[in-house]
Amino acid sequence: MPIVLSDASFSYPDGSLAVDSVSLRINDGERVAIVGQNGAGKTTTVKMMNGLLKPSTGSVLVDGVATTERTTATTARSVGYVFQNPDDQIFGSDVQGELEYMPKYLKWDQEKTEARVARAAKMTGIRRFLKVNPNDLPFAIKKFVAISAILVGDCKYVILDEPTAGLDGRGLKLLNRLMDELEAEGVAVIAITHDMRFVVDSFTRVVAMANRKIIADGGCTEVFGNDEVLSEAKLKRPEVPQLARDLGLSTTALHLDDVVTLIG
Amino acid sequence: MGSSTVHELDQDFINSFRSPATAGNRIRDLNPISFAIIMLSCSVTAIALPGPAGPAAICLLFAVLSVAAGLAKTFLPLYGKLFAVVGLILFVLRAAFLPGNHILWTVGPISISAEGIIQGLNFSLVVMAVCGAVTFFFAVTPMKNLMLALEQRGVTPRATYIILASFQAITDLGKNTKVVMDAQKSRGIETEGGMVRRTTAFLPILAPVFLAAMSQTEERALALDARAFNSRNRHSHLVSLRPVSSAEIIVVCAVALGAVLSIVGAVFIWN
Amino acid sequence: MELVSLRNVGFTYAYGDKPALTDISLTIEPGLLYGVVGLNASGKSTLCSVIRGIIPHFHHGELTGEVRIMGKDLLDWDPAELSKSIGYVFQNPFTQISGVKETVFEEIALGLENLGIEREEMIERVTVVVRELGLEALIRKNPNELSGGQRQKVAFASIIAMDADFIIIDEPTSQLDPDASEAVFGIIRQLKERGKSIILVEHKIDLMAEYADRIIVMKGGQVVMEGPARDVLVSDGLGDAGVPYPEVTELAFALARAGKPLSSVPITRAEAAQLVSDRIKEAPHAHSAL
Repeated sequence: MPIVLSDASFSYPDGSLAVDSVSLRINDGERVAIVGQNGAGKTTTVKMMNGLLKPSTGSVLVDGVATTERTTATTARSVGYVFQNPDDQIFGSDVQGELEYMPKYLKWDQEKTEARVARAAKMTGIRRFLKVNPNDLPFAIKKFVAISAILVGDCKYVILDEPTAGLDGRGLKLLNRLMDELEAEGVAVIAITHDMRFVVDSFTRVVAMANRKIIADGGCTEVFGNDEVLSEAKLKRPEVPQLARDLGLSTTALHLDDVVTLIG
Repeated sequence: MGSSTVHELDQDFINSFRSPATAGNRIRDLNPISFAIIMLSCSVTAIALPGPAGPAAICLLFAVLSVAAGLAKTFLPLYGKLFAVVGLILFVLRAAFLPGNHILWTVGPISISAEGIIQGLNFSLVVMAVCGAVTFFFAVTPMKNLMLALEQRGVTPRATYIILASFQAITDLGKNTKVVMDAQKSRGIETEGGMVRRTTAFLPILAPVFLAAMSQTEERALALDARAFNSRNRHSHLVSLRPVSSAEIIVVCAVALGAVLSIVGAVFIWN
Repeated sequence: MELVSLRNVGFTYAYGDKPALTDISLTIEPGLLYGVVGLNASGKSTLCSVIRGIIPHFHHGELTGEVRIMGKDLLDWDPAELSKSIGYVFQNPFTQISGVKETVFEEIALGLENLGIEREEMIERVTVVVRELGLEALIRKNPNELSGGQRQKVAFASIIAMDADFIIIDEPTSQLDPDASEAVFGIIRQLKERGKSIILVEHKIDLMAEYADRIIVMKGGQVVMEGPARDVLVSDGLGDAGVPYPEVTELAFALARAGKPLSSVPITRAEAAQLVSDRIKEAPHAHSAL
């Protein structure tokens, strides 16, 4: 069962719109990148998916149930959301305690707790930090701790807000591996990101937002091939595809290998 | 650059820094120090004047001034609540337990005397006048103006920063509460519902939130240092306060003189 | 005269069990833009802290070796003077707001107040950075209520307004969209053109290739390489330190592996465009054969 947003809008208490009539369907196990300028409405859109924000008009259905019908906590157990700022999400005095917080709340038995925590820590590469206070970790690693805490749960959908911010090459590889593992398990990943190369390399579907609306939704080739969309959403093509385009080699090639074959 | 809609620079707002900060009201534009002296004098007068009429008049004066300052809507309900709770309790306690000769009623072990009522009225009105002075002062004076006035009188920026930051910390704590509750909801912890449920979701992370706030203080101190906050040269100010007019000085002196006279009266005449 | 010189510098944080920096010898010349790259936790931010004197004046620990800033030993510097002479934009965008100003305009002016700048000049300078960074719509907003990206821009603007001749910038664009990132880099370029010395930590290697004069590569608390951007960004040392190459450089490597190398290895898109179009002109048949 999917997440379905139908003409969902969200307005602030003062009446101004943060998201304007968005329709979007996220299928099981899908990978979707949401891109667009700061302030385009991306974070508000994903917060509606996990029920943190309820649509002012229109509807958001998760697995067929409207988010307005359930508490946020219930929705959030199937739609995990990793905040942009890990400090807003991590409260434990050590990483292990942080990861075991939910299992304790849900009264899981020890076996399941250990298995889920070990899996999450392994996937995010933070096993060697389990005894460390998260506040002593660099921003990027703290973010992996936040991701790990969400992965301990049994989410069917995981939302990552700016997962590549401050991430080095090794972290990026780890993130990609993690997304592959989630895909293999049938867990959908929705990522908000400004990193276009990450989008091209790791996602098949892109949703572009500008001025509180969705202005494009489709495959990478299609969205990155459309100059109008790119300029309206203030996006930049990655370097190599832009090069291929500048030289008139191809308007659709996105990957390095494709461009290598194009150059004689 | 950098924005999909081109925003005009709000020149009026920028220009507002070029002239002294004003709230467009004479009372609110008084220098915070002048106003503090006036409010202090009012408190002293209320204590010295014979009650209950004296302190009652001062309480009434605050109400009238709040209307003149255009702050009646925020000040009067607050002051009313203080009267209803603090004033009433003080009055009842005094009236009920002070011994006197003219007993009006006797209810069980409690005898209410005419002296008790007068004393209770006096005492609670004096306390309400002092409370009123403090409340009205903070209703009228923005904290940042007060700090600016203090800095101009030689208080170090470090001291005013600590005061301002403490007040901000209270606001932040309220905001952090929302963030914490959002985070709790996001990981599947029920927070919606009755007080008990909210509290059980909130309490376990209260201590960590405080600790995290503490560790952020260090980063904040560094960020301030990056803004040359510790530099020893004289700091300048973007915002300026109106210069103190001679009329203002006269008013302050008059009110202070009133306070002195009422003390003299209290010592030599009324007693 | 050299701006900063480090000789055999090592540092261990007071609470750390192993050194964060080991045996670093490095010279920073004035007027250049130095890019610092390396994996997370490789010592980039710690190196910046030493160069800015936050270590040992603020973060305590064991500092060994010799650090000279503008010819004067770090230990002889008055920390307050250092904060005036060297601008510093921190990595975490969420903790750089002073918390005591009610509007963004006043927040950006805070540093200038502390420097004792006169009001008219202060208004002038704040207005200029607000324009440069496109912050017009934010100037009345409460800085405590901004999003991550907005905070990052305001924090950057606040330091730029102070106009120090030497500025250290630690990941200024981690929360920014591509457009805003380019705006920030555009400003960094202008600063360089005005003769400022800049040390910049940044993961966006394509932007680094475009703007940096020299690159410092760090790995495990050591400087493993330092040299002109052009040399470093195509070297094996970069890959060995776990740092990705610029995209067009990777393209050139891939072409070489496919047996069709370019005549030299580019680091920017403009160079790559030139090299690739030269080669297409040389071998039109190869292209049409596809």
